[in-house]
Amino acid sequence: MGLGILASRTIRPASRLLQSQSSNFFLRTIVSKPELQSPESAAVSEPEPPTQILPPRNPIGGARVHFSNPEDAIEVFVDGYAVKVPKGFTVLQACEVAGVDIPRFCYHSRLSIAGNCRMCLVEVEKSPKPVASCAMPALPGMKIKTDTPIAKKAREGVMEFLLMNHPLDCPICDQGGECDLQDQSMAFGSDRGRFTEMKRSVVDKNLGPLVKTVMTRCIQCTRCVRFASEVAGVQDLGMLGRGSGEEIGTYVEKLMTSELSGNVIDICPVGALTSKPFAFKARNWELKATETIDVSDAVGSNIRVDSRGPEVMRIIPRLNEDINEEWISDKTRFCYDGLKRQRLSDPMIRDSDGRFKAVSWRDALAVVGDVIHQVKPEEIVGVAGQLSDAESMMVLKDFVNRMGSDNVWCEGTAVGVDADLRYSYLMNTSISGLENADIFLLVGTQPRVEAAMVNARICKTVRASNAKVGYVGPPAEFNYDCKHLGTGPDTLKEIAAGRHPFCTALKNAKNPAIIVGAGLFNRTDKNAILSSVESIAQANNVVRPDWNGLNFLLLYAAQAAALDLGLIQQSAKALESAKFVYLMGADDVDVDKIPKDAFVVYQGHHGDKAVYRANVILPASAFTEKEGTYENTEGFTQQTVPAVPTVGDARDDWKIVRALSEISGVKLPYNSIEGVRSRIKNVAPNLVNTDEREPAAFGPTLKPECKETMSTTPFQPAVENFYMTNSITRASKIMAQCSAVLLKK
Amino acid sequence: MAAPFTLRKIGVPPNSANLTEARRRVFDFFRAACRSIPTIMDIYNLQDVVAPSQLRFAISAQIRNNAHITDPKVIDLLLFKGMEELTDIVDHAKQRHHIIGQYVVGEGLVQNTGNKDQGRTDFLKNFYTSNYF
Repeated sequence: MGLGILASRTIRPASRLLQSQSSNFFLRTIVSKPELQSPESAAVSEPEPPTQILPPRNPIGGARVHFSNPEDAIEVFVDGYAVKVPKGFTVLQACEVAGVDIPRFCYHSRLSIAGNCRMCLVEVEKSPKPVASCAMPALPGMKIKTDTPIAKKAREGVMEFLLMNHPLDCPICDQGGECDLQDQSMAFGSDRGRFTEMKRSVVDKNLGPLVKTVMTRCIQCTRCVRFASEVAGVQDLGMLGRGSGEEIGTYVEKLMTSELSGNVIDICPVGALTSKPFAFKARNWELKATETIDVSDAVGSNIRVDSRGPEVMRIIPRLNEDINEEWISDKTRFCYDGLKRQRLSDPMIRDSDGRFKAVSWRDALAVVGDVIHQVKPEEIVGVAGQLSDAESMMVLKDFVNRMGSDNVWCEGTAVGVDADLRYSYLMNTSISGLENADIFLLVGTQPRVEAAMVNARICKTVRASNAKVGYVGPPAEFNYDCKHLGTGPDTLKEIAAGRHPFCTALKNAKNPAIIVGAGLFNRTDKNAILSSVESIAQANNVVRPDWNGLNFLLLYAAQAAALDLGLIQQSAKALESAKFVYLMGADDVDVDKIPKDAFVVYQGHHGDKAVYRANVILPASAFTEKEGTYENTEGFTQQTVPAVPTVGDARDDWKIVRALSEISGVKLPYNSIEGVRSRIKNVAPNLVNTDEREPAAFGPTLKPECKETMSTTPFQPAVENFYMTNSITRASKIMAQCSAVLLKK
Repeated sequence: MAAPFTLRKIGVPPNSANLTEARRRVFDFFRAACRSIPTIMDIYNLQDVVAPSQLRFAISAQIRNNAHITDPKVIDLLLFKGMEELTDIVDHAKQRHHIIGQYVVGEGLVQNTGNKDQGRTDFLKNFYTSNYF
């Protein structure tokens, strides 16, 4: 030590010049100690670090742990941290519970395990090589290490292999910015590659107008194959070939016609399968995400609307375990381009020569207010459409009632549908409760086209627990094993009487579920059919205190809320004898039934069918532009959030009716949305509790006996064209392409 | 006693001592503005568009808008702004569409709001303006 200082002192005089020049110059000499120069010091191990108290770790990646059998919990150690997991958990799931995110490409929590990407390799003590954590079950006392050099080297190696044949497409690939490969190569990959040969390329497959395929980018993770066969129930996709020549495709030139085909776009970790309508339109960092609800069917799937300025660019699913898990149907996903076409943006009045003329709001409302006072109260009719939210329906009903009329109803509810008992129009087993059923009886409903998410749930149940499905209705396609029992009410009679062979299966089931379609509400013998369904339910113990298996599948997003608020059709001849008809987005109304001299006001956002009969057009906002409450078919209340501004001079539906009421002299007592909501609270308080499901209070025992007889006409399909059911989808170009190409002829 | 109003003023006149003097200044300003109306109509070719009485009404409406103010300093500042605007207009620093849009037709002008909105509630007034209120 002294030698070193002496050595440093000898150097110093020579560099005194340098030192004097800059006082900030720091001269440091290398000093060596005798202890360090001896060979034994290298062999001495470091002292043990004091055992720290590790901070508590939270499960990562949305993982939730459910101990179905608390005694069966295993303890494993992840990076030194002890965590308790249930018995069947894999190493990857245990690491997720412990808060460690392991990179993966082929593993997906809702699909079966493939284990072919090898990115999830972690080091497990006492194992000769790293194990694929997604496939390895966690054994008690396992010590898992995720950040050792072996695990890191494994990840770098796998990433290098994946990138070898992956094309340099990032600038032109739609997945850039949200690509798993990009993110994981930045986080876990090495900084340079060693590949100098030619990359292979693969031909692109044509999967339809919705999914764009660039198969060169595919990393053969087989997520799409597993999704198509397990969740969608169609075995369209498969892996052809072996080794580096592997290709994902349909073996024959087949398009993906499944209604869940758009979800492979979300699932694919790279840009091999992307959205064809969204191709090259936007990057994900310039989009603003709004979490809202879909209204194309009665399921109320949770979606995220990505918008750029005033335009909706794409729609992505949001996780909701109870309703739609992580999937949405194609109609939900691709109907957004209908929001840009055929939009009503200015109030219009029909001139004497039959053409529409744009006017200001003052004039339009003044005209309507004049006309409404010239008709008798019982000749006023209001019809709410399939996409109306609860607030606007409440205000419409209040307005029409204050004008003295009782004729206000929602599309899809024919005469005689009563809304007294909620069980008679809701899905009483909730959508997630359908997973516990072990036998399904579908009466007059084709869930694949009416509510694709409910169909996915039935498919999941059938796959998981081999549930039986019996179907009564017109011949239809199902993506799970389904017995076609019959086509009409006769089959129902047989099942109710116990003569049908399906009855034994029904009786032996522990949790039977009957799903009745809302298309049956339009039949004249509806009461008879419902009473026979209820007798089937009673005979097979379907409605019990712990399990209510009697379900009704509604068709439109507005139906459940309308029935809760009391918008029901009282008289069958209301439309034929009307002199003033107020259509609030109602396009499915039979326009020929309206008399020629009636004054029709159409309030809506698209110039669809009913506009051509209207005398006055009042532009309203669509579901992406307003904050509205919707109740789905199981009674779950949700709210949409505005993602883009309204088009032109359009206003919210309820505001238009409220303004009209003031002009007509029957001013409604509320003028803000909170006021409307407190009015709704008086009528149907479950519509104010958002994100909550209100089950029906009473069962079928309260219903009186029905004396009518069933007719013999077989059941008709409720939805003819899956891709074009409401005004938005009928205006959409993508939906038109789909219905031209993808519908089964 | 008070500095006379000139269309080209050099220096800033001192503040008014009390409300009466401020009133006097307001009326002097109004007189100066009305006397420059023929020049304005000539510069911007407003002969077929508007009558001088309408322009006088517009100016007096804007003055009447601030009739409730009692602080002389505030009145002085408003007069300063008004004088600035008048000077700009007479100097042809504005253009025809400015004059028409700000003083003749258009929404928000006193002469355009008729009787139809007086009996209306706030809800209706907001409803006619825009969707977001």
